[in-house]
Amino acid sequence: MLRKGITESFGAAIHALNATHLTDGVIHRSKRMMLDTLGVGLLGSRTAVFNKALMYSQMFVSEQRSSVWGRSEITLPPHYAAFVNGIAVHSMDFDDTWHPATHPSGAVLPALLALAETLASRPSGLDLLLAFNVGLEVQGRLMRFSREAYNIPERFHPPSVVGVMGSAAASAKLLGLSPAQCSHALAIAVSSAGAPLANAATQTKPLHIGNAARRGLEAAQLAQIGLEGNPAILDVANGLGVYYGDYNPSPMADSGAFRWILEDQNVAVKRIPAHLAMHWVVDAALAARAKLRDTVGTFDLSQIRQVTLRVPPSKYINCPLPASEHQARHSFQFNACSALLDGQVTVASFDRAQINRPALRELLSKVEVETPEDNPPSFDKMYCEVEIGSAEGRSAAARCDTFYGHWRKPLSQRDLVEKFSVNASSVLCPEGVEGLIDVVGNMEKVSECSVLGSFLRMTSNREQLYRTRIM
Amino acid sequence: PLLTMQLMPPGYTFFINSHTSFGKFISEIKPQYLSPVALYRSKRMVLDSVGVGLIGSTTDVFELALQHCQHMHAPDPISSVYGRRGIRLSPTLAAFVNGVATHSMDFDDTWHPATHPSGAVLPAVLALSDMMPANSKPSGLDFLLAFNVGIEIQGRLMRFSNEAHNIPKRFHPPTVVGPMGSAAACARLLSLDPSQCSHALAIAASLAGAPMANAATQCKPLHIGNASRLGLEAALLASRGLEASPLVLDAVAGVAGFNAFYEDYVPQPLKSPSDNDNGHVFLLEEQDMGFKRFPAHLGMHWVADAAASVHKVLVGVDPGKVSPDQVQDILLRVPLSKYINRPFPESEHEARHSFQFNACSALLDGEVAVQSFSPAAMSRPELHALLSRVRLEHPQDNPANFNRMYGEVQVTLVGGDILKGRCDTFYGHWRNPLTNESLRKKFRNNAGVVLPSEKVERLIEAVEELDRLDDCGALLSQLE
Repeated sequence: MLRKGITESFGAAIHALNATHLTDGVIHRSKRMMLDTLGVGLLGSRTAVFNKALMYSQMFVSEQRSSVWGRSEITLPPHYAAFVNGIAVHSMDFDDTWHPATHPSGAVLPALLALAETLASRPSGLDLLLAFNVGLEVQGRLMRFSREAYNIPERFHPPSVVGVMGSAAASAKLLGLSPAQCSHALAIAVSSAGAPLANAATQTKPLHIGNAARRGLEAAQLAQIGLEGNPAILDVANGLGVYYGDYNPSPMADSGAFRWILEDQNVAVKRIPAHLAMHWVVDAALAARAKLRDTVGTFDLSQIRQVTLRVPPSKYINCPLPASEHQARHSFQFNACSALLDGQVTVASFDRAQINRPALRELLSKVEVETPEDNPPSFDKMYCEVEIGSAEGRSAAARCDTFYGHWRKPLSQRDLVEKFSVNASSVLCPEGVEGLIDVVGNMEKVSECSVLGSFLRMTSNREQLYRTRIM
Repeated sequence: PLLTMQLMPPGYTFFINSHTSFGKFISEIKPQYLSPVALYRSKRMVLDSVGVGLIGSTTDVFELALQHCQHMHAPDPISSVYGRRGIRLSPTLAAFVNGVATHSMDFDDTWHPATHPSGAVLPAVLALSDMMPANSKPSGLDFLLAFNVGIEIQGRLMRFSNEAHNIPKRFHPPTVVGPMGSAAACARLLSLDPSQCSHALAIAASLAGAPMANAATQCKPLHIGNASRLGLEAALLASRGLEASPLVLDAVAGVAGFNAFYEDYVPQPLKSPSDNDNGHVFLLEEQDMGFKRFPAHLGMHWVADAAASVHKVLVGVDPGKVSPDQVQDILLRVPLSKYINRPFPESEHEARHSFQFNACSALLDGEVAVQSFSPAAMSRPELHALLSRVRLEHPQDNPANFNRMYGEVQVTLVGGDILKGRCDTFYGHWRNPLTNESLRKKFRNNAGVVLPSEKVERLIEAVEELDRLDDCGALLSQLE
C-alpha cells in the first residue's frame, strides 16, 4: 500500500523534535532506562561474548576513540565501541523490554555515547536525552506498523529490525542532520536490518543489539556524507515491510499533536538476566513454592512428583534441558526449577556449575509444559501458572499475571537504583557508581554528556589488578 | 532428519544436520576436487570481478564508501583497495569498499538462480589474503578453492527455495546468500574446523538480508560491499570462538533461521567429499555464470540486444543516426518486474534498472555501453523523446526468471512500418558465454581506466596462472 510521504514525515520529525517537546514524564522514564542500561552493560562487560567481540574489535584503528564500558585502559573506534557496548548490554538478556516487543535502549544508548565522545559540538545531557528519546520513539512507531510485532516473535528478532532504525534516527538527531539526510539514514539502515530468530538463545544473540547500535550509527554517518537510499523506504511494501507479514505504515507528526509513545507505554525492567517471559514463571514458581511450604511446614524437593507449567506458546523459550547459559536464559523449565530449588533466580543462577547441578537436572525431568488456549504469546497479555504436585498427592499452584518490573508494575526508583548499583559495582569503584547515578539523575542539567564516559571507565582497584594480571 | 534444539543434551559438540553438514563441507573440501571446468570458469569470474571492481573505483558511491572508512578509521597497512595505490585499510573495510566498487555500476556477474556471487566473495578473500603474513600466503590454488567454496555455498542455499529461482521481490539476493558465501570462503581460507565453519555461517545469517526497495538507489552497491565485509567478519568472529545456532539452515518450526528470508524453503544437507566416494561436483560446473557486456541489471541485456537489432535495420535502411522523428511507438515485451520498470529514470542507478532506458539507448546508439549512463548521455533530448514513446507489455509466456525470459522490441515507424527484434539469449548469458577474447576485452577496457597497460596485462596473466601460483601474493601485488 503506497502512501506518499511516510519516510519523509519521519525524516522531518527526527529533525524537528527538540528539547521543548520532552515532557517530565518522558524524561523521568528515559533516565531510568539509561541508568538500567548502563548498569547491565557494565555487568555484561565481564561476559565471554563481550570479550570475544572486544578482541575482534581491537583489530581496527582510528583516530577518534570512544569508551569501552567497564574498561579503563581500552578505547575503540566509535563504531566498534557502539558494537561491543551494545553486546555488553544484551549479553545476559538483562536489558529493558517494551511493548510491542523489543529491547529499545541497548540499540540506541551505546551508539549515542560513542558518537557523543567524538563530536566537537560536545552535546549536553539534554541533547543526549532528546536523541535517546527520538531513537526510542522511532522504534515504537515502526513496531506499530504491524500486528505481527505485538506478539512474541517467530521470524526476525525485533531488535535487529527496529533497533537499527532507532540507532540511525538517534544518531541522525545528535548529528543534527537535515530532514532529507534523516530520511536517508533510515533508508540506509533498513539494508542493515533483520536477523533471524534462530540465533536467539545462543552466544550470537547479543550481537543483534551490538550490530543494531553500530550499523544505525554508520547509516547516519553515511547519510551525513551524502549517501542516499530509497526515499520511500518506509512507504513501499518491499522496504521495511519485508520483515513483516502484515505491514501498514502511517506518517509521523513532527509537532502540533505530537505525543511520545513512552509517555503512554512504559518499559519493563528485568530483575532476572533472562528472557522477559521467564519473569512470570519465576514469580509464579516462587509463589507456589511459598504456598507449599506454608501448607507443609517445610519445602522438600524430594517430595516433588511433578511440576506443571502453563505458559504461552513460543518455541524458542521452551527448552527442557538447556545446555548453555544462553539456552538457560530462554527456558521456562530452567527458570521455574531454579526458582523452586533456590527460592530466587539471580545472576549467579546461570553459571555453568549451577546449570549442571544434578538436583536441578532431576527437577527438570519432572517438568511438563502446557500452553493453554487463553495464554497468548504477548508480553502485554500473557500469564504463567506453576503447579507443584507432591508425592503425597498435595499440590500447590500459583499464577502470575504481572511480574514486579513489568510496565504495569514498575520497579520502584529505589529498586531500580539498587539493581544498577549491584551491577555497576561488580566493575566500577564506588566513585564511578555514584558518579553515574548522579549524572543520569541530573541528565537534563548536565553540560557535557560525554562525562558519562569517564565514569564508565572508573574500574575498581580490584578490577584493575585483575586486568593487569591477565594482560 | 531434523534435530530440534531441545533434544541436544549437554556435552554434545557436533550433530550432523543440514546446517552442520555445510560446516563440515567447508572445512573438509580440498583443491583436488576442483575440476578443470570449475577452475576455468572461476578464473574467468575472478578476472571479470577484478576488472569491474577497478572501474567501479571511479564511481561516486565508491568514493563515498572509501571516505566513510577513512573518516571513521585510520589507515591500516593491511588490505589493498581497488584502484587506489597507497591506500590500505583494515581487512573488513577493504572488503567493504572493494565490494561496493564491484557492484557500483551493476556490471558484475550474475548467476542462476539469481545473485551476484563474485562481488560478495572475492573482495573478502583478497582482503583476508592480504591479512596473512607475507611468508605464509595461501597458494593460488587455495585462493581459488576458497573462492569456489564461496560461490558453491551461495548456489546451494539458493536451491533451497523456488522463490529464489525468479527475479527477486522482497530481499535482494546478494544480501541473503552473499554474506553466507563470503563467510564460507573466509572460513575455508582460515582453515577453520567444521564446528567453527558452522558457526561462521550462523553468525553470517544474523547479518544477512536487505530489502529490494534499495535496489536502483545509490545504496544498492553497499549490499555487495556489506555481504563481503560481514561474511569476513563472521568468519573472524568464529575463529575467535564466537558461537551461534547450529540449526540456522534447518527449518525449525516457530523459530525462523535462514528460512526467514524465503516464503518456501526446503534445506538439504551438503555431502562432504570425505564422506562421498564420488568426490564433489561444484554447481559452477553444471551452471555457468552470466557476464555483463554493459553496466546494467541483467534483464536489460535482453532488451538491449533486441533493440540493437532493430537499430541495425534502421541504419541499414537510412544510414546515419537514428532519429526520434522516425519513431512513432516502441513496444517492449518483457517480464513483469516492478523494480526494473522505470519509464523516466532520474539517476544513473535508476537508469541501470530501466527496461525503457536501455531499449531506447540501444535503439539510438546500436548498443549500451559504460558511457550510456553518463549525465550527458542520460539527458539527451533524443533519448527523452524516445522514452516518451515506450509502452510495456508483460506476456504470460515471459516469466521473471533469468533462465527463461526473453526481450522483444517492436518499433512502429512513422510511415507505418513495424520493425521487430527479439532476444532469447543475449551474448554473455550462460547459454551463450562471452569468449575469452570478449572477456579480456571487457577487462582491458575496465582495468585500463585505472591501471597502466603493463599492469593490466600482468593481471590477466596472474589470474590465468592462479591455480599454478605457489603464492597468491603474485596476484595481490598486481592489484595496486
